[in-house]
Amino acid sequence: MHDLSLYLLDILENSVRAGATVIATTIVADRAADRLSMAVEDDGPGLPVEPEQALDPFFTTKQHKKTGLGLSLFRQAAEAAGGGLTVDRSDELGGARVRAWMRLTDIDRPPLGDVAASLATMIVTNPEIEFRVVVDDDGSRTSLCGPDVPLRLSELVSFQKALA
Amino acid sequence: MADKITSPDQLKALAEKAKAGIDLRSGRKETQVTVHMGTCGIAAGAREIVAAFMTELAANGVSSASLHQSGCAGLCEQEPMATVTMADGSTYRYGLLDKDKVQTIVVNHLVGGTPVEAYLIKT
Repeated sequence: MHDLSLYLLDILENSVRAGATVIATTIVADRAADRLSMAVEDDGPGLPVEPEQALDPFFTTKQHKKTGLGLSLFRQAAEAAGGGLTVDRSDELGGARVRAWMRLTDIDRPPLGDVAASLATMIVTNPEIEFRVVVDDDGSRTSLCGPDVPLRLSELVSFQKALA
Repeated sequence: MADKITSPDQLKALAEKAKAGIDLRSGRKETQVTVHMGTCGIAAGAREIVAAFMTELAANGVSSASLHQSGCAGLCEQEPMATVTMADGSTYRYGLLDKDKVQTIVVNHLVGGTPVEAYLIKT
């Protein structure tokens, strides 16, 4: 994957496929702590297996495949940039939660990429799902929720540029 | 803050894009275009293919088609790929897509009614 927005798209697709009706994305840059964190949580049925199994590249819930590379690739990218990735249950929405973090200034941190494009892709192709988005750059926060999210995605542009 | 809009044309373009997006979101229509977005598809450029379909469907005034996504179809080597399902239930699976191929598919198949044989996946 070229950038973090593509990993995000992959995780969002997991939530959609799991049957979620609400999916929340949070991306926070903490410059003092040199940390970039990303979380996706949903109101789906949650993980059908133990978290460690979900991160196994040779495990998948799909019938026609033998590998499940999405989460394991994201974990590898996060660890390469001094971070990590966990999967557990969302306190707020009750479904699955994926959290990844990494050093903001690490030379191996993938660029953030076009988060707005990833979200737009999922919103357009899944109109029945409610998408919520929060991005925070050192306390400068943008929060999008409700039916006007697609029309407000351009508000993410400055965040994306700052973390390119 | 988003980039500033500095001209009426920019504002009009933004409004048209939003209108097209809302139209594509208005439920399933008689023709459905499904872009496959498993990890393999995403890594191969599926996001740009969704954007290309959005652009071309709007540009060609195709109001009878809706745009959807699904997971991996099990043909990873053919990604990015899309499945077109017509009103009669017939399906056409296109592989190794790029923006130019999407334009051709929209013009020839979705508007003209003739599938683009050269881009169909042979199984």
